[in-house]
Amino acid sequence: MSEEVKSPNYWKSLGELARNDEYEKYVEREFPENATEMNDKVSRRSFLRVMGASIALAGFAACRRPVQKIMPYSKMPEDVVPGNPLYYASAMPFQDALNGIVVENHEGRPGKIEGNEMHPASNGNTSIFGQAEILQMFDPDRSRYVRKEGERSSVSAFAKFCADHFSNTDQNIAFVSEANSSPTYNRLKDQAMSKFSNAQWITYEPFGEDNALEGTNIAFGERLRTFNKFDEADVIVSFDDDFLNPAADKNSVENTHRFTQARDLESPEDDMNRLYVVESTFSLTGSNADNRLRIKSGDLELFIYALAAELSKSVSGLSAFSGYSNEFSDHEWIPVLAEDLLANRGNSILSVGRDHSPELHATVAAMNEALGNAGETVEYYEVPHIKDQYNQEAFANLVDELNNGNIDTVVLVGTNPAFTAPSDLNFSDALSNASQVIHLSDYYDETSKLANWHINRAHFLEAWGDGYSYTGTRSIIQPQIEPLYSGVSEIEFLSTILNGEKPKGHNLVQETWKDYYKTNFKNRWEKALHDGLDKERTFSTASVRISNDFNSQASTFISNAEAADGMELVIRANSTVFDGRYANNGWLQELPNPMTKITWDNVALMSKKTADKLGVKQAGLGKAEVEMVAITVDGTTVELPAWVQPGHADDSITVTVGYGREGIGRVANKAGHDTYPLRTTSNMHFAGDISVEKTGDMYEIACTQDHNTMEGRSLLRYATLQEYRDNPDFSSYQSSYDAEMPGLSYAEEQGEDDPLAIFNPIDEQEYPEGQPQWGMSIDLNTCTGCGVCTIACTAENNIPVVGKREVSRGREMHWIRNDRYFDGDVNDPEALHQPVPCMHCELAPCEQVCPVAATTHSEDGMNQMTYNRCIGTRYCANNCPYKVRRFNFFNYSEEFLTSGDDPEIVQMAMNPEVTVRFRGVMEKCTYCVQRVNRAKIERDIETNGKTQKPKDGAVETACQQACPADAIYFGDLTDPDSKVVQTKKNNRNYLLLEELNTRPRTSYLAKVRNPNPKLA
Amino acid sequence: MSTDYQYVPEPKLVKGDHSFGSITDMIAKTPLSPTPKLWYLAFGLANVLLITLLGAISYLIWDGIGIWGLNNPAGWGWAIINFVWWVGIGHAGTLISAILFLFRQGWRTSINRFAEAMTIFAVMCAGIFPAIHVGRIWVIYWVFPVPNSMGIWPNFSSPLLWDVFAVSTYFTVSLLFWYVGLIPDFATLRDKAKSKVAKISYGIASLGWTGSFRNWWNYEKAYMILAGLATPLVLSVHTIVSFDFAVSMIPGWHSTIFPPYFVAGAIYSGFAMVLTLMLIARKIYGLEDIMNIDIMEKMNLVMMVTGNLVAFAYLMEGFIAWYSGYIYEQGIFWLYVVGPYAWGFWILMFCNVITPQFLWFKKIRRNVALTFVISIIVNIGMWFERFMIAVASLSTDFMPSAWDYYSPTFWDIITYIGTFGLFFTFFLLFLRFLPMVAIAEVKGVMPQADPHNYDEDTQEFDATKTEPVVVQQEQTV
Repeated sequence: MSEEVKSPNYWKSLGELARNDEYEKYVEREFPENATEMNDKVSRRSFLRVMGASIALAGFAACRRPVQKIMPYSKMPEDVVPGNPLYYASAMPFQDALNGIVVENHEGRPGKIEGNEMHPASNGNTSIFGQAEILQMFDPDRSRYVRKEGERSSVSAFAKFCADHFSNTDQNIAFVSEANSSPTYNRLKDQAMSKFSNAQWITYEPFGEDNALEGTNIAFGERLRTFNKFDEADVIVSFDDDFLNPAADKNSVENTHRFTQARDLESPEDDMNRLYVVESTFSLTGSNADNRLRIKSGDLELFIYALAAELSKSVSGLSAFSGYSNEFSDHEWIPVLAEDLLANRGNSILSVGRDHSPELHATVAAMNEALGNAGETVEYYEVPHIKDQYNQEAFANLVDELNNGNIDTVVLVGTNPAFTAPSDLNFSDALSNASQVIHLSDYYDETSKLANWHINRAHFLEAWGDGYSYTGTRSIIQPQIEPLYSGVSEIEFLSTILNGEKPKGHNLVQETWKDYYKTNFKNRWEKALHDGLDKERTFSTASVRISNDFNSQASTFISNAEAADGMELVIRANSTVFDGRYANNGWLQELPNPMTKITWDNVALMSKKTADKLGVKQAGLGKAEVEMVAITVDGTTVELPAWVQPGHADDSITVTVGYGREGIGRVANKAGHDTYPLRTTSNMHFAGDISVEKTGDMYEIACTQDHNTMEGRSLLRYATLQEYRDNPDFSSYQSSYDAEMPGLSYAEEQGEDDPLAIFNPIDEQEYPEGQPQWGMSIDLNTCTGCGVCTIACTAENNIPVVGKREVSRGREMHWIRNDRYFDGDVNDPEALHQPVPCMHCELAPCEQVCPVAATTHSEDGMNQMTYNRCIGTRYCANNCPYKVRRFNFFNYSEEFLTSGDDPEIVQMAMNPEVTVRFRGVMEKCTYCVQRVNRAKIERDIETNGKTQKPKDGAVETACQQACPADAIYFGDLTDPDSKVVQTKKNNRNYLLLEELNTRPRTSYLAKVRNPNPKLA
Repeated sequence: MSTDYQYVPEPKLVKGDHSFGSITDMIAKTPLSPTPKLWYLAFGLANVLLITLLGAISYLIWDGIGIWGLNNPAGWGWAIINFVWWVGIGHAGTLISAILFLFRQGWRTSINRFAEAMTIFAVMCAGIFPAIHVGRIWVIYWVFPVPNSMGIWPNFSSPLLWDVFAVSTYFTVSLLFWYVGLIPDFATLRDKAKSKVAKISYGIASLGWTGSFRNWWNYEKAYMILAGLATPLVLSVHTIVSFDFAVSMIPGWHSTIFPPYFVAGAIYSGFAMVLTLMLIARKIYGLEDIMNIDIMEKMNLVMMVTGNLVAFAYLMEGFIAWYSGYIYEQGIFWLYVVGPYAWGFWILMFCNVITPQFLWFKKIRRNVALTFVISIIVNIGMWFERFMIAVASLSTDFMPSAWDYYSPTFWDIITYIGTFGLFFTFFLLFLRFLPMVAIAEVKGVMPQADPHNYDEDTQEFDATKTEPVVVQQEQTV
C-alpha cells in the first residue's frame, strides 16, 4: 500500500470524500498488494484503521461511510453533528419478506435497528431477528474474502472467471437461491434465465412457505399468499400455527401487532378476540391462546377434517367432507369450534402451520372461503416471485440430476443446503458431480467448503437492495456502511455472473426503479429512500373460489388420512437461530427461548407423561444436567438433551434445527446438536413412529428460569374476560389474596395517603418543578412473551454476551427478563409471560443498603446506578425483591468486546451513548437514561430552559420501541394526559409486590383471557 | 426439725498442688524453652494453608468475583457465611475476658488469654472476607468516611457501613484489651528469659513494668475500663452483623429476632471453638490443672444455654412465619425445610438443636472426648446456620422466576480452608511466644491469693505450701 494513501487528504464534502480515487481503487482491488500482510496479526488488527485512512479519516477506525448518497430520515439534520446519530430508513429482508426499519447511524456506523412507523409490516416495531441484525453485520466471523478452491482470491479474479466461464450459455446451470422478493434480483434472475438456455432456478428454503402456496393451489387453483388480518377477526383458530413467532412466520411483527390490537382492553366493556390453538408443541402462540388443545401434529389432519366435516353441515363448498367422520368427530372441541366459527362467518380466521402439508393448507383455505372469511379477514395475494413451481420437489429433482451428471454449474445464492438439505438427498455428495460450484454466503460454511468459488456476501446493512414486504410494500434497502469485508450483495453477484464484471449495487437498484418510476425519478426515488417505502401493499388481492378440483382431491386425501400411531417427531425452525443462519449471533444464542427459557442449545421437547415413559427426569432448581435421548428416524440417530415441556402433546417430541455447527464461528461452533440428519424428503417436518431411548449420558443446559410456577403468589395477575367484567378490580391486592394489604390500615390510621401506590389521584407528594417524573406500565394482556424487549435492550445498552457457562451459573446480564410461568395441571397448563425490568421504586430497597451511595434517586424519579462509584458489594441486588440487578462477575464486556483477532469490529456494534461496564460493578435497567436525557436536553433548548419535560411520546425506551404488541408504555407521570398515566388509571393496573411498599414506578396491567365457557 | 447446713467450699479453680512459682514455671516454660519439632510441623502446615489463602485471594483479585459460585439471586455466598462464622467465633474471647470479668467469674482466668487470642485471630480471618468479596477491591476505601475530591460520603444508612465500624472497633478494643492483660506477664517473661533477644523483646512489650503498686493500680483501672468498653461491643458487633440481614427486606432475613439470636449463636460457636482449641492445648502443653474439667463443664453449660437459645430462635422463626400470615416468610421457611437446601437445614438441626441436648447430662459435660466432638459439631452447625440464612434465603425469595441454585466452586472452598492457615499461623505464634494463660490473673484466683488464706481457723493452712503473697513483686523487682 502506498504512502500516499495513508497521508491525510482533506476533503470538503461527503461527495468528494466518497469519490476518493484511492478508496475506490482500494475497494476494487480487494487486498491485491501485500496480501501476506493481512495474515500478519498486527496488520489484521489495523485493517479497519487502514481502510479508514484510505478515506482520509485517519483515527476514525469506525467510520466507513457509504459511497452513494443516502437520505437521512425525516426530522434529522442533513449533516452529521458529532454525537448526534442520524436515522436512515431502510428495510430488512428475511426470506422473501421485507420489513421496514430505521437505522440509527452514529457517524457513519449503524448502531441500532428500529422499526419504521410508516411501514405497515413494521408499525415501528421489529422482531428479535431485526434487533440482532446489527450484531450479525458486525460479526468478525463472517467470511472476509473470496475463496477459490479454498484459497484466498479476489472479486476481480472471480469476475474474470465469470466472464470466461459463463460465456458458454448452453451449459446446464442450476441456480439455487434463497427466497428473495427483490425486484432487482428477480429482474436479474429473468435475465439469467433468458441468457442461459439450459438453466433452472430453484428457490430453496428449509423452512419456506411452499406448502402454503401449494395449499392455495389445491384449493383455489392458484399459488397465492395467505394474509391473515388478525385484528379484524373475533375468532381465530390456529392449527399448529405459531404466527406470533418470527421463526415460524415471516410476517410475525405485523401479525403480533394486529393480534394484540384486538386484545387491548381499556375498560371491561371492551371486547376482545378469542384465540383457539390446537397444537403439539407448546408454542409462543399457544401460550397466548384463550383455549388450547394439545394433540399430536400427526393427528392434526384428522382434527381439521373432522372440523371441516362438522362445518360442511352448515356451509357450502366443503361437500367433500360431508358425511366424513373419524375419531375426532366426537371430540368436545369440534362442535364448540364449529359453533363459534359459524357465529362469526366472515369474521374469523383459521390458519395452519407453515410446515404442514399442502392438503391441510388447502382444507383450511377452503374452510376460510366457505365461512366467508376470504376477502374479509383473510386476504390472498398474487405474489409475482413465488409463482413458478413447487420448490421442494424441484430441489429433490435437482439432486437427481446432479447425481446423473446432468448439471455443469451450480450457483448457490446465499443458501446453505449442505447443512440444511434433507439428509436422504445426500446433497453434499451430489454437489461433487457438478464441475463448477459457486456459492455466495455470509460465512465460509458447510456448502462453501464444497464449492469451487466462495464469494463473501455483503450484509443488507452494507449493500443496496430492494424488495417487497409480505403484503407487497415496496422498499429500497440502503446501505448504512461500506461493506466491512468488501462483501458482494446478491444482486451484484448475479450481475457479475451475467456480465463478467462487478457492478455497483446502487446502479442495479436504480435501474430497476427507473423502470418503476418512469417520471420524476429523482424525487420519487429520494422520497422512497426517505420514507423507507414506496407504496403500501402493492400485491394485488385475488378473489378466490374453491376450485372444482379441490373437492375431488379432498375426498382422496381424507380417505388416506389416518391416526398417528407411536411416537412422533416434529422438526421446527429454532426460535432464536432459525434454520441455523443466526447460529453465530451471540445476542440470539443468549436470548432465552420464549417457552423453555433455554439458551445456547436445542433440546428434545416432550410432555411429562412421555418423559416418565422414557424415564427422563425433569430439570429444575439445582438440576441443570438433563438426560440425553437418542432419537432414531429411518435408521438415522441423533442424540439430544431431553427437556420436559409442560403442555406438550403426549407421544410427541419436538426438536429444532440450526445448532451443532462446526467451523462457522466462535459462537456457533459446538453450540447444541445438529438435528438436520433427522429430516428427510418424506419427513421434512413430521415423522411418525420414531424410536426414542435414553442414552444414560447427561448434558448441561443453560436455562434462565429454573422454577416454573408462581407458588401461589399473585405476581402475574390474570382473569377471564367474564371475571374481569364481574369484578373490574380483580387485580387489586385485596382481590388477589382475599385479604387486606399488610400495613394498609396502619398507614391510614397514621394519616398517610394510600401508602402503597405512587401517583394516584390523591398523591400530594411534591416533585421538582420543570422535571418530568418517569413511569412505565406493561400490559400483560397484549404482551405475547416474544422476548424482543430483551434483545432490544441488549442492543441499546451494550449488554455483553456472557456465554453458556456463565448463563448456566445464573449470571445472564439481561436487564429485562421475560418470566414465563406455568399454571395448572403439569400436563396441560396455561403459560403466562411477564417482562420484568427494574421497577424504579420510589422507596428503593437497593438505594438504602449501598454502603457507598452508588445507587441513588434522580430528580426525575429514576433509580440510578453510578458505575464509577460502585464497589460491588452486591448488597443492592440481594435486597432487590424483583431480582433485576445484574453483576459483572467477570470482565464480561472486555471478553465480549476484545476477543478474537478483530476486536474493533464487535466494538462497532456498541452504542456510543452507553457506558460499557467494567468488571465488579452492578448494572440494571436505566429506563434508557441516554434517550431520556437527550429528549430532556432538546426540550430544555426548545423552551429556553423553562421546562425539561419532553412531550408525551418524545422518549421511547428501547424495549417499548421494539415491542410489536405495544405492550410497554413509558412517559411522564406528572402529565395527566400522557399515555402512561392513562394506562395507570386502568383498573387492571397493579404493582408487583405492592405489599412491600417499594412504590414501583413500573406497573403492570393484568392479563385477561377470553376462553370459551363451553370448554372450561 | 432442723436442717443441718454445711459449708461446701467451692471447688478449687486450679487443680493439683500448685504454688505461685510452679504456676509461673508451668506457663512461662513454653515461650522460654526451645521450639519443639511438633510445633515446626504444625506451623509449616499452617503456612501452607496461609499461602493457599494468599494465592486464592490473588487469583480472585486478578480474575474477578466470578471465580466463586455466586449468581444472580445469590449475590452473597461463602464469603459472607465465613465472615459471619469467624466473627461469631471471635465472640467468645471478649465475652470471657470482659463480661465474665465484670461478673467476677474467677474461672475465666484459666482461658481468657487463650480465648482472647483466638478472638483476635478469628476477627482477622473474618475481616478478610468483606474486603475481598467486593467487586472492586481497589476502591474499597470508599466505605470509610474519608474526605475526598468527589465530595461524597459513604451512605450512613447502609448496614454494611455500620459493619465496617462495628468490626473495626471490636477488633481494636479486643486487641488493646488483650495487650493490656499481657503486660504483667510480659514482664514475668522478661525477667525469666535467658536469651538477650527475648529479654529485649519482652522488655519492650512489657512497657517498663516494675510491678510497683502504682503499676498494678493503673493496670487494674485500665483493665476495668477496657472491660467496660468491650462489654457492649460483645453485644453490638454481632447485632450489627445481624443487621446486614435483618435490615434488608428478604424473607428469612427481615426479622427482629436476628440480633439476640445472632449474639447467642456467636457465643455458642465461640465457646465451641475455645473448647476445641483448649482441649488440644491442655493436653499438649500439660495444662490440665489450669484448664481443668470443672472449667470445661462450665463452658459446656454456657454452650447448652446459648445452644438452646439458638434452637428457640429457630422455633420462633417457624412460629412467626406461620403467625405473621406473610406468605413470603412462610414460603422461605417451608423451603428451608423441604426446599432445595433442605439438606443444609437438617444438618443444621442436627448440629445445633439436637447436639446441645446431650449437654444436659453431667457425665457428658465432664467427658473430654465427647465435649471435643460436640464442640466440633457445633461449629459445623453454626456454619450451616449462616449458610441457610445467606444462601437459601437469597436463592429463593420473592419471585420464583428468579430462583436459582447456589453451589460453591473450588475457589470458595480453598479460600475458606485458607483462612484456617491464617488463623493457625497466628495462633501457633501465640502459643509459642506468649504466655497462653494469664499468669498474674490465675494466681489471683488461687487460694494463696485469698488474704484469709493464712487465717488460723481455716484448715487449709499449711506452712510448707505457702509463700508470701508478695512473691510476685519480688520476682519482678
